[in-house]
Amino acid sequence: MRSNILKYTLVTLFVVMGSVNALAQNAVDPNREKAIDSLALEKVRDLGKYIRIIGNKETPYSESTRVMDRAEELFAPDSEMGVSSLAREEIEYYKVREYFQRLRALNYDKVTIEWYDIHYISDLERQPDGRYVGVVTIYQKFEGRSGDQLSYKDTTKKDITIYVEKKETQIAGRTIEFWDVILGDIRVSETSI
Amino acid sequence: MSRLTLLTSLLFIFFFQGVQAQIVSEDEEIERQLLASTKQLNQFFNRFNGEEDTKGRKFEPDDRQYRSERIRKRYLSILFDEENAEFSEDLLKTFIEQVTDKDNPQFLSLRSPEWFAVVNTTFKYKGKEEPLTLYMQIQQEGLGYEWVISDLVFEPYNTLFDKQRGETKEFLHPMSHELDFMNLRKALVKGGSPESYTLADFKPDLLTVFLYEVKMGLLEFQTVNRLNFHFFSIDGWYFQLNNFNRPGYNTGWLISDLAQVNDSQKEALLKIIYDKK
Repeated sequence: MRSNILKYTLVTLFVVMGSVNALAQNAVDPNREKAIDSLALEKVRDLGKYIRIIGNKETPYSESTRVMDRAEELFAPDSEMGVSSLAREEIEYYKVREYFQRLRALNYDKVTIEWYDIHYISDLERQPDGRYVGVVTIYQKFEGRSGDQLSYKDTTKKDITIYVEKKETQIAGRTIEFWDVILGDIRVSETSI
Repeated sequence: MSRLTLLTSLLFIFFFQGVQAQIVSEDEEIERQLLASTKQLNQFFNRFNGEEDTKGRKFEPDDRQYRSERIRKRYLSILFDEENAEFSEDLLKTFIEQVTDKDNPQFLSLRSPEWFAVVNTTFKYKGKEEPLTLYMQIQQEGLGYEWVISDLVFEPYNTLFDKQRGETKEFLHPMSHELDFMNLRKALVKGGSPESYTLADFKPDLLTVFLYEVKMGLLEFQTVNRLNFHFFSIDGWYFQLNNFNRPGYNTGWLISDLAQVNDSQKEALLKIIYDKK
């Protein structure tokens, strides 16, 4: 957790330091957008790491609960996962915590979750309240084994909402403005691959 | 060589030129397909406009490749569904020539005019799950933009206000005023035809009915089933975008319908899409 705070702080400061012009215009400068994209990807990668730990059958219950807490902190309140499969195109909706709990409870002896080395980050669009919103797309490979047998395998596309917000903090009596990134709803769809 | 084979070869060359012949693992093959896929509508716009490279990295506006005609022509040729679509290659070529015209290039974005989403949903209505189609548009609001509902089609509403005309319709007789309209008591009843007692040109506002029923809890949102996008943003053209979830290189958000349309054809097409009589 401590290393995460340090990591986000470093990335966030990088976003702050180069953001003076952007803040003056109250808009995201293209160069800053790249820094924000990096911060968003960091959070998305952390989510991936947490999902792997939660899904891993060797993770002790108390540890997976702690990781769920950490993972939830990446999200805006009330964020949901909308899940569909090839067999069922209707989207089923779960609160983030419920999704993690379902993942932990999957009835396999061994679960392997990996992410493909492909991602796509959308442009940032401004919404009516002034915050910016974007979508990061990643692909996840899931394998569930019972004994030595592969019981279930899929590849899902995850379209992850990111909210980018200008915030303020006090450092040594000075007010510093910075851009923060928080995750929102995630659309999970099974691919035909 | 069929169009499909030709396109698949083109896609492969476009995305992986320079990759030498080698044994490719299953994961590498999947990643190549995912890279080629038009993963978001945002990516469709960026490819259409020639604003990103093959890895999805955005060009800076001062990059000579940014919106270059050459890049755009290569991208545009892969933004069409090659498996099911039935438009001719000539039509496709004319479209690409028009949007990449040196003197008047045309681009797309979230803020382009005249495009909308059609969202097929399921609602629970009177204890039953019912399909309901929402028409969504982007509009400017506050400090940014938002998607809003502009219209809907819901089968139970189709006949709800079907008003009869002429001799057989129900009516309040022309001397009702002398009786202080006491016959309203018989006219306005549950399960009746209150629309019969409206002006001849009465047109129900079904969106208001829908909003009322959602507010009252009579219509309960269940899920989104699928969606597609319709564009009239390019002068004289209509095209539709669908998401193709299938193996291969021609996947994701692709143009599935393309037609040249004049003003009257556009009106007729809009009526069909919006399911208006």
